[in-house]
Formats: sequence, C-alpha cells, structure tokens
Amino acid sequence: MSTTDERYARQVLHWGDEKQQQIQQSSLLIAGVGGLGATVSQLLVRAGIGSLYLVDDGFLDWPDLNRQTLYGEKDIGRAKLPLARERLNQINSATRIIELHGRIDDAFQVPAEVDGVADCLDNYRSRFILYRALAAGTYFVHGGLHGDNGQVLTLLAGHSQPFDEIFAGALQPEGSIPVTPDNVVVIAGLMVNEMFHVLWKTPKLLDRCLVVGLADFSMASLEI
Amino acid sequence: MLQLQFFGLIRLLLKRETMELVWAEGDTVQRVLGRAQEQAATPFVSKLLDDRGAPRAGTIILVNRRNILHLQGLQTPLADGDTLAFFPPGAGG
Repeated sequence: MSTTDERYARQVLHWGDEKQQQIQQSSLLIAGVGGLGATVSQLLVRAGIGSLYLVDDGFLDWPDLNRQTLYGEKDIGRAKLPLARERLNQINSATRIIELHGRIDDAFQVPAEVDGVADCLDNYRSRFILYRALAAGTYFVHGGLHGDNGQVLTLLAGHSQPFDEIFAGALQPEGSIPVTPDNVVVIAGLMVNEMFHVLWKTPKLLDRCLVVGLADFSMASLEI
Repeated sequence: MLQLQFFGLIRLLLKRETMELVWAEGDTVQRVLGRAQEQAATPFVSKLLDDRGAPRAGTIILVNRRNILHLQGLQTPLADGDTLAFFPPGAGG
C-alpha cells in the first residue's frame, strides 16, 4: 500500500476509490480563510483535494483565534493567506494551493478551472459580487452563521435563482457578528460534506437551504 | 389555504415551524402577516416590519421561493395554495 493509499484508507472504506479519485482530480475556490474557510479548506486538504484556490485579504487578530482553526497566537498580525497555505501544505503536500491576494470586488475573476466555489465570506456585499463573477454552470456552496444559527445552500450559477435576489434584504450587522467555535465547525463540516457531493455531481442542497439551529439541534429545509 | 414556514430565530420565537391560514380574496403578504400575528402566541411582526410598516433588513420573506423584494414587496398578491417562508439568514463566516 502506497503512502497515498494509506493516507486516504479510512475514507476510501466509506466512499470508495472512484469518488476518492474525483476528489483528488478536482479544484475548488475557497472565498475567505477565516472562520468557515479555515476549517473548510483544512478538511478538503485532509481529504486529498487536488487544488485549492484561496482568496482573503485579512490579517490575523485575537478575536479570530476562537474559531479560525489554522492559526495560533504566534500568527497574530500576519496575513492569513500565506499562513493558510503554509499550514495546509503541512497537512497535505499533495494539494496544490494557489493564493489569490486582494479583495473580492467587481474586478475579481474566478479561475476557469475550478469545479466549485465555497462561500466562506463574512458579508453579503462580497458574496453578491462573488456570485456575479461565476461562470454559468459553476456550483456555489454558501455558508453563513450567527450565534447558534447557520445555513448552507448550493446554487448552480446560470440555473438557480441568483444569490443576490434570494438574499436581498439580508442584514449585515454593524460591528462584530457573534460567532462561536462549535457552530463554525458544524457549518463548515456541512459545507464540506456538500462540496464532496458537488464534486461527485450529486449535490444534496441544490436550491435547498439547510437551516441549522444549535439551540435545539434542529435542521430544516427551505426550498429556494 | 396558505402555508407559512418559519426558520431560525423566527421559529424559535414562535415555537413553531409552520402555520396554516385560510386564503381570502385580495390577500397580500401584509394582510396575511396581520392574520398570522393574531394566531401566533408571541408578537413577531415587529421583528419583520419597522414602525412605518416597512420591511426590516434581516428577515427574508419568500413567496413560493421568490424574495418579495423582487416581487411587489408587502403588497405581493397571494393565491390560494401559496407558501410564505420567513428566514433570517446568518451573515458571519
């Protein structure tokens, strides 16, 4: 058994060689490597994703450490993007990590090779811009959270209702949004599960928003 | 009948996931909100509308999967069998 086979042995027992190969041959864009993005990218790299494009323009600060699982105290003040790349490469050197520096603004271009996009952003303005930058046929897995609540939704650009139409009127609170380590990891884990299914062309949340509540361990589906 | 679906904090506030209301000729989102308020044990419309009765940012209202801000807002007409969803999405990441 090769090192690669050994590394993925436990998950291949679950989903098989063919799906593992699809993961290893795929490329994804992770928009934001903060709370959601740090865990989403980490899990994808552990699973053996072929390539990850990361975009973020933030610097690590103390309030990030409660939930941004790639970073530690010694990283305070450093740019997140090269840190994320360094840590992800330490976890799995077989994954190609590409840094996309800068903000997601109207000039942002989604790399043509990506098979899907994970929305790990923390504001609706950037999410709307990102969605408008997608080529038709690109899968978009959105995650968002606030306190004990969160949601995951998959859209197919050019086919689904546009993200900015669905979320018109969504509130972007002024100041900091309450976010806890447990809820971030729950929503990130659900996003990664959905992203695997996007890569296998069997998304479970296409045009269906999974609304999660940790207050009473509820999950509900909102058809979009 | 009209089916109302509540998600997230609105569901927790109302302690219910759904509500059914009898459809009436001329129903709009605004009129149905008034009837829903009468049937709910907890006041909730003030969470959705401001003092002038305009929609507050925060809770998305969908009629048959379409955001009312892209229909006719609170004056969106409703037909028998329509589904209304009330969902306050999280913005954090």
